[in-house]
Amino acid sequence: MFDLPFLIVQLLNGLQLSMLLFLLAVGLSVVFGLMNFINLAHGTLYMFGAYFAVSVAKMSGSYWGAFLLAPIGVALIGAVFYKTILVRMQQDQPMKQVLVTFAMIFIGFDAVRMIWGNFPEVVPTPDIFSGSTTIFGETYPVYRLFIIGLGLAVMLLLYLGLERTRIGAIVRAGVDDPDTVVTLGINVRRVFFWVFCLGCYLAGLAGVVAAPVFSVFPGMDMATLILALIVVIVGGPGSLKGAVLGSLIIGMVDTFGQVLIPGFASVIIYALMALILLTRPHGLVSVRTSA
Amino acid sequence: MKYTDTKLRPYVFIMLLLGAIIYGNTTGYYGNEILAEIAIYAILAMALDLVAGYAGMISLGHAGFFALGAYVTAALTVFFDWPVVAAMPLAILGAALLAFVTGIVVVRLTGVFFIMITLAVGQMVYSYLFKNRTFGGDDGMSGTPRLDLSWFNLNTDDPVVFSMLTVAFAVVVYLIFVVLSRSPYGHALIGIHQNENRMRALGCPVRLYKLAAFTASGAVAGLAGSLVAQLSGFISPELSFWTVSGELLIMVIVGGMGTFIGPIVGTAVVISLKHELSSMTEYWSFVMGIFFVAIVLFAEGGLYGLILRLRHLLFSRKRNATVAGEKT
Repeated sequence: MFDLPFLIVQLLNGLQLSMLLFLLAVGLSVVFGLMNFINLAHGTLYMFGAYFAVSVAKMSGSYWGAFLLAPIGVALIGAVFYKTILVRMQQDQPMKQVLVTFAMIFIGFDAVRMIWGNFPEVVPTPDIFSGSTTIFGETYPVYRLFIIGLGLAVMLLLYLGLERTRIGAIVRAGVDDPDTVVTLGINVRRVFFWVFCLGCYLAGLAGVVAAPVFSVFPGMDMATLILALIVVIVGGPGSLKGAVLGSLIIGMVDTFGQVLIPGFASVIIYALMALILLTRPHGLVSVRTSA
Repeated sequence: MKYTDTKLRPYVFIMLLLGAIIYGNTTGYYGNEILAEIAIYAILAMALDLVAGYAGMISLGHAGFFALGAYVTAALTVFFDWPVVAAMPLAILGAALLAFVTGIVVVRLTGVFFIMITLAVGQMVYSYLFKNRTFGGDDGMSGTPRLDLSWFNLNTDDPVVFSMLTVAFAVVVYLIFVVLSRSPYGHALIGIHQNENRMRALGCPVRLYKLAAFTASGAVAGLAGSLVAQLSGFISPELSFWTVSGELLIMVIVGGMGTFIGPIVGTAVVISLKHELSSMTEYWSFVMGIFFVAIVLFAEGGLYGLILRLRHLLFSRKRNATVAGEKT
């Protein structure tokens, strides 16, 4: 059971889950770091991404149409949500923000049922990635390799964007010490807004990419949301490195846990999170230098 | 004006109690089931209010303690044929123990980290119960009997008797909590909520006090769980799912946090609304969601706060009128 091909397949599965979690968690994490705001409706955006993919793929007959359009639709929903509700709550305590976004989960859940119905939907795998390939004598679906590649590409782009551009510098400074950034004459609110939309876009992208692998149904957001939250907390909110590290740890622990000790995998993840918070209360990669 | 002003609390409490007694004795089977449900969730909501409203610890994991109380009661009565009266204290103790262990970890944390780790603890209980076949896994467990009160010539299988029993439990919990909140310990908790560092500087053992509140809250949540197992005789891991904790927090907010009476009002409103809406439309959670957003955004102090504001409006206008009258 513990031979090399088995390990490699599981490693790839873990990596694929990690990349999906990364796409979800990075937006959540950076928004949390910037605005001290945790968006429980982030999973709902992921679900909307998957459902938009269902509709666009049906209408255009092509996965790639969905791949391009669905995340933009999700980003638009995020923008409306930000402009109508979140902008009022910038100064509120975390509890209020948590509760409003919690209520959005209910609204989103029923909205999906109203529009698309109760039954699971499927999105076909795009033609060029529909086959399987052979890795160390084990067949492995190409599409999953595509997810891993996409995740790595997004990681690289975000890294370059954050570390090598002016806007990236503003975002990093905003996480570190928003007051000073404001004093320097930078419109932090506008940066917050665009970062929030980008986070929503990535959540939608995660939904589109996950749709051909998992089935699309109302409530698909729940399990994923909790995992993404754990990634953010474990990795350390506000940090790209933290999101990478967190999603790799949680993706791998979840995948190997399900295989090696089924039934206890999720308990182990929660215990791991508790352990990390005990020893490092602000996550593995703590970015905030000012209190 | 403070939304946690307790002046009106006794009147609201007496009105609620009278309402519950009259409603329970005039309505039928279904009405009493709902009344018992409200009383049980009110107990749970008060437990949450002790930590969230008084001590400022926003827990999103109370469903875990609640479910533990339910499962301990069910397991002891179904597997070992214990009488319910013996199982209940153990359910409370079990939940208190879990809350104590959790508390040791969480009282160091604040803000979103506190919320997230309590959520994780609740989900740990959920995923354990969901996967463990001994307790029925995702099918849940059935067969928990109700508390035997035949000594007092009462049959708790009668819906009216059982709903009144749960109301009585809610009353006892409420009174204990009110006394607790007026004690020096209760004042210290409010102080910790307002300014933790100052309380620490004054020599208050802040973490110990928070831990005690968290443990007590868990114990009461265990009591509510034990009662909910007796309500329908059937329990499932859904009791411990994190959305239950979220809805609970909303019940507390709807009624008014930090008052103990508010959570009772909030529970009654939210549960009644839920039953009404779900009989009208399949998409009831959509309407509930909008209601929740509106309450959290606009109704500061919740419904109890609204009552206070109304009284303030009437009262101060009357006084202004007399002042104006004297001048002319």
